[in-house]
Formats: sequence, structure tokens, C-alpha cells
Amino acid sequence: MKFSYSWIREFVPGLGSESGGVTAQSLERLITMKTAECEGIETAGALLSGAVVAKVLEVEPIEGFHNQKALVDAGPYGIKTVVCGASNCRAGITTVYVPLGLKKVSGVMSDGMLASAAELEINKDHGGILELDGTQPLPVSDHIIEIDNKSITHRPDLWGHYGMAREVAAITGKTLRDPIDLSLLPAPGGPVKVEIEDTHLCPRYSALVFENVTVQPSPLWLQARLTAIGLNPISNIVDLTNLIMAELAQPMHAFDRDKLVGETIWARPAREGEAMPALNGETYALTPSNMVIADASGPIAIAGVIGGRDSAISASTTTIVLESANFNASSVRKTSSSLKLRTDASMRFEKAQDPHNTVRALARALELLPLLSPGIRLVGGLADCGRELTAPAPVTLNLDWLARKLGRSLEASEVRQILESLEFGVTRPDAENFSVSIPSWRATKDVAMPDDLVEEVGRMIGYSSIPLASPLVLCKPSFDPPERDFLRTVKRHAVAQGLTEVSNYSFISEEEARRFGLAVEDHIRVLNPIAAGQELMRISLLPGIHRNIVENARHFDHFRLFEVGREIHKSPLSEHTHFMAAIFTKDDGRSALLELKRVAEGLAPGLRVRPAAPSAWEHPHRAAELWWQGRPLGRLSELHPKLVENGRAAVLDLDLDLLRELEPERAKYQPVRRFPTSAFDLSILTPERELAATLELEIRRFAGDLAEAVEYVTEFQGPPLAEGRKSVSFRVVAGAPDRTLSSAEITEVRTRIIEGLSGQGFELR
Amino acid sequence: MQDLLDSALQRIQASATAEELEAVRVEVLGRKGVLAQLSKDMGKLTAEERAARGKFINTAKQSLEGAYEALKSRFESDALAKRLDSEWLDLTVPSSSAPLPATGPGSLHPITQIQWEIEDLFRSLGFSVLDGPEVETEHHNFDALNIPPDHPARDMQDTFWLEGHHLLRTHTSPVQVRGMEKLGPPLRMIAPGRVFRNESVDASHEHTFYQLEGMMIDRNVSVGNLTFFMKTLLSEIFKREVTVRLRPGFFPFVEPGFELDIECLICGGSGCPVCKQSGWVELLPCGLVNPHVLRMSGIDPNEWNGFAFGLGLTRLVMMRYAIDDIRWLQSGDLRFLRQF
Repeated sequence: MKFSYSWIREFVPGLGSESGGVTAQSLERLITMKTAECEGIETAGALLSGAVVAKVLEVEPIEGFHNQKALVDAGPYGIKTVVCGASNCRAGITTVYVPLGLKKVSGVMSDGMLASAAELEINKDHGGILELDGTQPLPVSDHIIEIDNKSITHRPDLWGHYGMAREVAAITGKTLRDPIDLSLLPAPGGPVKVEIEDTHLCPRYSALVFENVTVQPSPLWLQARLTAIGLNPISNIVDLTNLIMAELAQPMHAFDRDKLVGETIWARPAREGEAMPALNGETYALTPSNMVIADASGPIAIAGVIGGRDSAISASTTTIVLESANFNASSVRKTSSSLKLRTDASMRFEKAQDPHNTVRALARALELLPLLSPGIRLVGGLADCGRELTAPAPVTLNLDWLARKLGRSLEASEVRQILESLEFGVTRPDAENFSVSIPSWRATKDVAMPDDLVEEVGRMIGYSSIPLASPLVLCKPSFDPPERDFLRTVKRHAVAQGLTEVSNYSFISEEEARRFGLAVEDHIRVLNPIAAGQELMRISLLPGIHRNIVENARHFDHFRLFEVGREIHKSPLSEHTHFMAAIFTKDDGRSALLELKRVAEGLAPGLRVRPAAPSAWEHPHRAAELWWQGRPLGRLSELHPKLVENGRAAVLDLDLDLLRELEPERAKYQPVRRFPTSAFDLSILTPERELAATLELEIRRFAGDLAEAVEYVTEFQGPPLAEGRKSVSFRVVAGAPDRTLSSAEITEVRTRIIEGLSGQGFELR
Repeated sequence: MQDLLDSALQRIQASATAEELEAVRVEVLGRKGVLAQLSKDMGKLTAEERAARGKFINTAKQSLEGAYEALKSRFESDALAKRLDSEWLDLTVPSSSAPLPATGPGSLHPITQIQWEIEDLFRSLGFSVLDGPEVETEHHNFDALNIPPDHPARDMQDTFWLEGHHLLRTHTSPVQVRGMEKLGPPLRMIAPGRVFRNESVDASHEHTFYQLEGMMIDRNVSVGNLTFFMKTLLSEIFKREVTVRLRPGFFPFVEPGFELDIECLICGGSGCPVCKQSGWVELLPCGLVNPHVLRMSGIDPNEWNGFAFGLGLTRLVMMRYAIDDIRWLQSGDLRFLRQF
């Protein structure tokens, strides 16, 4: 929202005074510290400072250029020669001269310029230089303070200059001048009848009718004022409604009376199937959730949002109905968002405007219209309809409580002065309390409880005046969920193993889901994705990790990375924290897989690897499930070569929720053996795809109690072994708790294993 | 001509290996192949014949090439299957049987590092560290924080909406609600985590970032307490004495609400490009917890009150390391991540 400094100054005249004046720059800082966040300050109509009304005396062409040389009577600046490119530059016209210094243009020394209305920032017309009729003074330049809209979401009153002026007056201790003279309003009884179907959705509808209207451009001061705050001047009537909206935060609308059907205006929900062509050229299909203003033929405006095209003001308009109404904030917001149409009006109404304001705006119009449309006449009285407006109950403010909330002692008189400067009513029923009545423009949703008054007092005394003090809190041990420490352990472990942590988005694309064999319908869909390719919530960290692999492979020959992140599942809706690690290498890939297995074993000691049916994204012969304590904990595999170019990527996926839930098995202590053990090696000839784990189990089975340990040593393939065969070596450690085994006993263990294995079809080498 | 085509087709289909197929391709589709011969004498034909011949050649070319491609891709997938089969690995062998990798330690993501650092700081002050789901209900993300439906404050946080009436949390404040509901007063807690805003991504905006929200609920917590606490905390985070100031800010879950600025650490308050010559840098939103929020979480605001604040972890990381582009953080690019 843009605020004009000179406009505010009209309501707070003391701002510009010689002594104790406040510049726009210091005002910006004061507003930021006490009211709302300023985004910046800029000059509107910079060229207007120094500009003067000038008369063109002579014009002659410049050979070879389309520019012309003009001799200008620039009043106080004297007679000047100016080069001008505008086609309407001709002798005899009155226009605007801007001193700019000497400059050679089209071969001629030009001393200043003649300006268009766009250059002067009066309106957007840059079709030629501004032609004046000699009766209007030039507007003056202005400072524009831009306020962050988000910081005044809760302040309906600050969507108009008068509301901001009230703040400024309170901040600076100066007097506020109310521009409204309610005595201008005619007696009730309008020439139009107003019917409100639901006064909850339309608490008040006020209107005046005028005849003998001349629709014409607004005076320059009004055009400049609207342009400076970012509104487009259109015509005197439309500009008036915008001016009052920007002044009082009360949106208004003008209908062409002759285009309305019947004598009654209804404020009602749209009927099913109704549609309305709007001022912006669009036609909106409406439903009963949209409030409309209607005449006998149907909707003529979408309440609080936009006017209808068919009843709009045009050059031929002579009679107008000037609407000043109040609509329910939620309803306007719903309509505006369902129609995807945000307007200056809807932005204000959705902040919950004050219903008392409708007639103030009409009084202001009564004052201004005769200036903008000379000869205009009021027809009949004031149409004003709505629910009874009740003042909210006063809020009790306990002064001691207030001081405790702020953390600073306060004089009662100081508190009273602050609240009264903001036009709160203050009485003091007893020594400890104020009874504070809330002005209507703060009562719609902003201020309702004593905590809201803490803010009013706090910001005005200045938060920097509050001494800093350590909180005195109750002594209580903190509760810490175990997950946090667990996740730290996991991450530290991964980093110690040489892995670098990455963080990926929670979104994936449908195409990614399909590529990894994940059913698209298993994913939660984002209804309003920010970009194509981010429409599903990830149910696996894999697509992100895969992207990391592909992208980093452009820069590195080998790397290790991991992510700890959440999978988001649909049915039932749940989030699962997973650990996914990847190692990219250029070699045969075996070490990377075993390295990741070691990473997993570090987190789940003794986990078991079981070959698994490969998924579409896995190397069909390098995929395994990881089991721990009888539960499937995750997966270890190599990515399918289709997915990785110029290298191999091993991937480990662990379910961290399950891992945390499963306690590691408690160690079983056995007395340390005092008798020496003996070890012997066995090499077993097997088909090449026999699993080491199977062989180890078999050896343990046949070795019996005397085998203390069975350890895989190595394996071998190739000549002289036959094709399709391999030799796997194990070391068996034999011993007993109560004696040293005799060589006969050791041989017996060995024989038992060999015979047992032979019985299973294995040969010993 | 048809015979010529049929026999060429047969020869392609009879190829038993990729090498054979390639040889046949040269013979049939190559520069001296069957098709080339057919188009050689075109010049001698009448216009009509030429058109018919041209059409025949085109169709022939398509069917020959089709047959070739089909077979070629079959050979290729067979070859791949064979290669992959030969790569069978026994993953049940002990991991210790592989050589130890020659690698130094990896690194933690900079967000993780700063998050742990700040968590530890809060833990030392008796705060609990809590987390909640990333997919939230409208109730926890908005309503319970005093942001009812159709409230314009919802515009302040562009929301990702999910099917099934859920949304991605736009702040970690819902965890405060869950914390209040679960632990009750007195309460000191922080909620660090990943949050989402539906914003276009550029060098300084991300739709996915990390936040840490905190609250203290006790008896008689004042604005002066909040300022003291934030100053203490920020001095620890920035590892130097900082000067803070509060100014009005609107956030529905606090009343009064503040924007907290710190005196610019670059210029010390005299004005520089970082602080846009103002001497102050806007750092975080905070305020006294709105009594409605306490009540909705089952806490009696007449007995308890407190303050709440939000810290942008992503923003702190950007500030600490002077990172030029926020997109690096979620890029997974090791050239960036290995520096931390």
C-alpha cells in the first residue's frame, strides 16, 4: 500500500510546520518503529518540482529531424529555446516547461524540456506534451511511503490515508483533522430502495443518487494523486470513488442509474447459474456462495469485488447511483479467491472494514463531487439499510497486568494519553483498572482483548524503553524425544565412514516414480505444485539420491553420499524416516556394495543379507534384503546400469524408524576361555552361485559345539577349477571351555564337517 | 522387386548374432545394398514408374529398417542380460573381506551443523527439542495458531496443498501446538525442521527450507524477558555481543507481535549495503503467545503466558558462510557440500 506524504499532511497539518515539522524520511522511520513496516520511500512526479506553466511562442522544424525547435515563454525562467518531439507542440498552446540544463538535441542547443503528463507522473498519457487550459495549477511533487501489505493485514483502518494519518498524529503528538462533515448528508429516504437479504454478509448498504453528471477527466491534482499511489485515473466519477477509497479505506462503486432496471437494489447471494460480465471484460459464473448486488434484471456487481460492465459509468452517463457498502470479510475473500480476482476493493473488505464508514465516504463524496462535476445535483435523500450497529463491550485493562506484560512500569496518565491519541475511549472505574472502549474502525477484528491493548501501549512507548530482564522460570527438566539423539548417531556414523550428507526435495515427478517402479497412485499428490516435475510427495529417497549420483558423476570419478529424510506415504498417511547412502565408483562395484554393507552393520550389528528379487531399478543380480532381528530393515543393491552411465552406484536403504525401535540384542557374556584353541582351514568346492552364508551355516551345523568360530577367509574361481565352480575357504576355530582339545578331537570335528558337507553334495579341495 | 525385398528381409531375420546382423545391414541397407540398386536406374523410368518405384523403395526401407532395429535391440538386451548375469555377486560374504576404502571422513550438511549447534544451545538452557510431521492438518498449521479459514494472514504463507485435505507445514509452529498439547506448562521447547512455501525458486528464495521455532510458557513472561532472551541467544549464535530492537509486526499467533532486528554485524550500525544503509537487519519474528493459541492448546492464559519466536536456519547458514545462492543447499552437489 502506497501512502502519499502530502495527503497525510492534509490531515495532520502540523507535520509540515516550520518548527517541529517531520520530513517524509523521518516519518517513514517512525511508522516502521511504531506501526507497520515501510518498504521504502520514493518521489512521485520528480519533474514537477521546478516545472512551470509555459506558453509556446513559435515552432519551427529542424531540417533532417522529426523534432521541432520551439520558442517558449517559461514564465520565471524567461524565454527558452527547447527541442521537442511531440506532434502536438504548436505555437499558442499552454504547456509545462521543465528546466533541465543545456543539452544538444538534433543539432540544436535545447534549454530544458516540454513534458507530457506521463513524464510528469500525472497520468499515463505520453501521446504528446501536456496541454493546459490555463485554469488549473500544476500538481506538486510528493513523497510516497510504501508499506508492506502483510504488516497491515490486521488493520482495516490502515488501508486508507486517514487511518495512517491517525497513527501519525498519535506518534508525533500532533492534531488530527477529520475531513468528514456528516452534516452534509441528506435525510434518509433515497430515490432507490435497498433490500439486503442477509445482513451478516452485507451489514450495511448506503447510497446516494446524483443527476446532471458530466463525465470528464479529473482535475490534474486528482489524477496526479491517484497516479502517485499506483491507481490509474479514468474519469472524474471513477476517480472520486478511488480517491475516497484510498483516503477512508471505504471502497465505493458508481452505477449508471439509467442502465439499472427497476427502482430496487438488492444485496443477495447469487442464484445458481447466474453470470455477470464485469468491468475488466471477463464474465464470471456465480454460485450462491458469491454475494452480488442486483437490480431487477440480475447481478450488477459482485459484492465488494468488482462492478458489472453493463451498468458501468460511460461518457454519456448523466445520472449515477453511488454505492458505499460494507460486506463480510470472509465472504468477500472466499468470492475473490474462488473467482481468482483480487481487486483494490476486495483487498480492503477482506480485512473487515468498519460499517460506520459507509456514510462518512458518502459525505466526503458530497463535498467533492461539485468540484469534479460542476452542476451535479443530489436526487432525494440517503438510502441506508443494514443491521443495527452495536458497539463492543469495553475491555478492562488492569494497569499492573499491563506493566507486567510489558516488563516496565507505566504511569496511568501515560497509558491514557496513548490510548486516547488513538481514539480509544478511556474511563477509570477504580484505581487498578481502565475501562477501554474500542473505536469502531479497530473493533471489527483487530482489537478485542486486553492483550491487544498491550500492543497499542507498547508500540507507542517504544519497545526500546523496556529494560531487558532475564526470565524467571520454573525449574523443570527438559523432555527430549529419543529420536533426535538417534538421528545424530546415524549421521555421525555415516560421516565417519566417509559419506557426505545431502538434502533433497520432498517432491518427485510422475516420471521419476515410474522410472523407479513406484506406482504413481501410491503417492500423495500436490494440488498446486510449484513446477512441473514436483507434483508427488516422495515415498522413497531413491529418486533424489539417483539425481545426486547422476549429477555428481559429471564432476567426480568416485564419491560417497547419504541422506536422512522422510518418506511420505499415503495410506495410511504416515512419515517414515529413512537412511539412504550411495557409493559411485568406476570399478567392478563389489567393494562399494560391501562397504555399504559395513555401514549398515555399524548401525545394526549382525544384520543378515538375503538375496532378493530385484526391482526394476536394481541390477538383477546385485540386490539383497537386509534383515535384523527377524525384521526386514532395508535393502542393499546396485543401481541398474540403465540408470547410471560410466560407472556403478551401490545403494543402501535403511528404515530408521524400525532400526530405532529394534533394540540391539543384549550381548551374552561367556567366561573368557582359558584353554588354547586350534584353527584349521577348509576349502569347499561349490557351484559358483552358492552363498557364503549358506556354506557357513552348514559348517556350523556339522561342526557342533566344539567349533567356537567359523570365518569366511577367501574364495577363488578359474583354472584349474572347472567352469562354473568356485572354491570358498573358511577358517574353523575349535576349542572347549574346560580343556585343551586333543588332536584326535580336532580331527574329528574336521572329519564331521567334511563328511557332512559331502553328504550335502559339496566337495573339499 | 518384391522377391528381392523378401529375401533381404529373410536374411536380416536369419542373423544369429549381432555381428552377422551388422554384416547383413551393410549388404541390404548400405550404399551398395539392395535398396541402393533399386534406386540406381530410376533415371530411366517414366514419371509414373518413378513414383511407383519411389513408393516401393520407401515402404521397403521402412520394413527392412524396422526388422533390423527390432533384432538389434533384441541382441542388445540379450547381451546386457548376459553381462549382468555374469556380474552376479555374493553379498553374504562378510564386509570385512573387502579392502578398507581409502577415504577420509565425509561431512554433515551445513544445515545439520547449524541445527545441532543451536539445539545444543537451547538444551543447555533447559529447552526440549521436538519435531512433528511435515504433512500437517489445516487445524495444526493454521486454525490452532489463530489463523482461521478465509483469514487474510493465510496469504502470508503460500501453502502447498495436498490431496486429502492436508498441507505441507508452512512453519514448524504446529509443533508448538503439539508440544503444548503433549507437555503442558511450564514449557520451554524448540522445533527445528523442514518447512515448505509455495514460492518460485531463485538465488534467494526456496520452497523448501529449515526453520527453528521456539516458545517459553511460564508465569509472568514479559516483553522485557523476550528481548533479554533473544539478545542472549543471538549473542551466542553470532559469537559476539549483538544489539537488538523490536518493532511492531503482525503474526496471528502472537499478541503483541514483533519483528526483531539486530544491529548490522557488518557495519556496526553505521549503514552499509547489507543493511541497506539502515544500520539494522531484520532477523526474526517473535511475540507474546496469543491467549487464543494457549486456550486452543488447553492452557489457561490467565495463569500462564509466554513468548514465541521463529529462527530461519537456512538464513543463518547463508549468513554465516556468506553463501551466494540458496539453491546450493538442496542441490546435492558435492562440490558445495564437501566444503563444510
